[in-house]
Amino acid sequence: MEPETKRWKGSKCDDDSWVAFPVLSDEQSADVELVEAFAAPIVNRKATSRLVRELNGVYPLTGLQHVKRVRACRAEDSPHPLEVLLCLLSDVPNPADASIPSLLPAGSWEGLGEPFVVKVPARPPLTRPQFELASRRWPTTFHEDKQVTVALRGELFGPQQRALMHTFMASAVAAARAAAQLGMEAVGAAVVDPETQRVVTVGHDRRGEHPLQHAVMVCIDLVARSQGGGCYRHDRYAACRFAPTDPQPEGGAVPYICSGYDLYVTREPCVMCAMALVHSRIGRVFYGAAAADGALGTRFKIHTQKDLNHRFQVYRGVLKRQCEDLSSRGRKTPEPPLLG
Amino acid sequence: MATEESRKAELEAGFSVSDEEMKKWMSRAFEMAREALQSGEVPVGCLLVHGQEVVGKGRNEVNETKNATRHAEMVALDQLLDWCRRGNLDVRGVCERTVLYVTVEPCVMCAAALRLMNVPLVVFGCSNERFGGCGSVLDLSSAELPDTGTTFRCVPGHRADEAVEMLKTFYKQENPNGE
Repeated sequence: MEPETKRWKGSKCDDDSWVAFPVLSDEQSADVELVEAFAAPIVNRKATSRLVRELNGVYPLTGLQHVKRVRACRAEDSPHPLEVLLCLLSDVPNPADASIPSLLPAGSWEGLGEPFVVKVPARPPLTRPQFELASRRWPTTFHEDKQVTVALRGELFGPQQRALMHTFMASAVAAARAAAQLGMEAVGAAVVDPETQRVVTVGHDRRGEHPLQHAVMVCIDLVARSQGGGCYRHDRYAACRFAPTDPQPEGGAVPYICSGYDLYVTREPCVMCAMALVHSRIGRVFYGAAAADGALGTRFKIHTQKDLNHRFQVYRGVLKRQCEDLSSRGRKTPEPPLLG
Repeated sequence: MATEESRKAELEAGFSVSDEEMKKWMSRAFEMAREALQSGEVPVGCLLVHGQEVVGKGRNEVNETKNATRHAEMVALDQLLDWCRRGNLDVRGVCERTVLYVTVEPCVMCAAALRLMNVPLVVFGCSNERFGGCGSVLDLSSAELPDTGTTFRCVPGHRADEAVEMLKTFYKQENPNGE
């Protein structure tokens, strides 16, 4: 246990205690959905390949390609070594009658024991936690996205990257404090070009002056300014600033709105701001604190919405404590569970 | 002090728009959309009407501002704010008695902005399958979002076919940024 005084000062170790977790789609973060099926022991091991072939012909288990047909028996004292899936309960007219003659058409089914009901995963697992839960029910195949696995462990960003992320979010926090001093909501944001690690803009909430000038909207306009556009005046606010776009090298692409840029924002964006980021083609979003009406994880996941023409990655929890302290007068939302 | 609920009920009772008025203002919005189409811009017309006065009207300004949030509705809301500022009027009080007339369903962003501004009624033409925030992609008009302003009522489908035709004509022409 650390001495009390050290923690009061906010030691470096304390500052670094945040973890950036990915905000995945509902499909990726949902619980494992199960579907009921009939299985039976294989009492004659030598008949296995024949039984599997014939069962595949009768019940191909369409849509359940991720489920392995045969599993090894889990109980060590089991009299039979293998069990095989016969069919789904929904495949048969009378699922109450779990006998071989009721479930299977006439044929040579000797080698199968008494059928029983099991629950198998209805969908292919998309993440390692889903895979691990699914496999406890019935052996399942898994095409792993290594990046997602590492991200879910909170280990996607190495120490150097974390130090940079820390700096970027710290400038958003500083902007949020400046906003609070002006009587605006304490929300700040920074837009960064991840290619060059250059801060493109820093902005903060100004809804005391304009109800729609949330920090994200301010930053989007500041990016437009940096590209020679924009439609609001920002010079009255010292903490809202942008770096003009560097002259592009011969043949270099002129940046198009926010595409390829990262946004660091102290509080999860509302639905207006989240959709503004879709329209602006933002690359990735990092936020510190969740918000009750937040649209990048809490209430909606605009960044994973299938019907929209642009999707992006979102990470929550960067400099979490500092970001939550900014809005500590408001409600705190409960931590969303990793799998739910 | 009136609660939020009773304040809303009172507003709804005392605030209604006749079919005649809707027709009249929507035909103005369609004229704007047609003008936009003729000058090669996204054919969306939108008006914010308070009482009998147009307090905001806009057209898409995304390309000239390089700001992808400058949809017609956002531009019109800025004009409404300027109008309130000039008249030294309470923004919320004005918005609560303002109607948006727009030829295409507002997108998710604009629908959320309308909530944040407390606009109670939106009359629109065709639905917006790609971005619509009044039922097509999400329904912000009725969603339970306590920190995101107030819900609003929608009157959809006014001259919808005409609005669709204009959009189709526009998208057949070249549009470099796909907005």
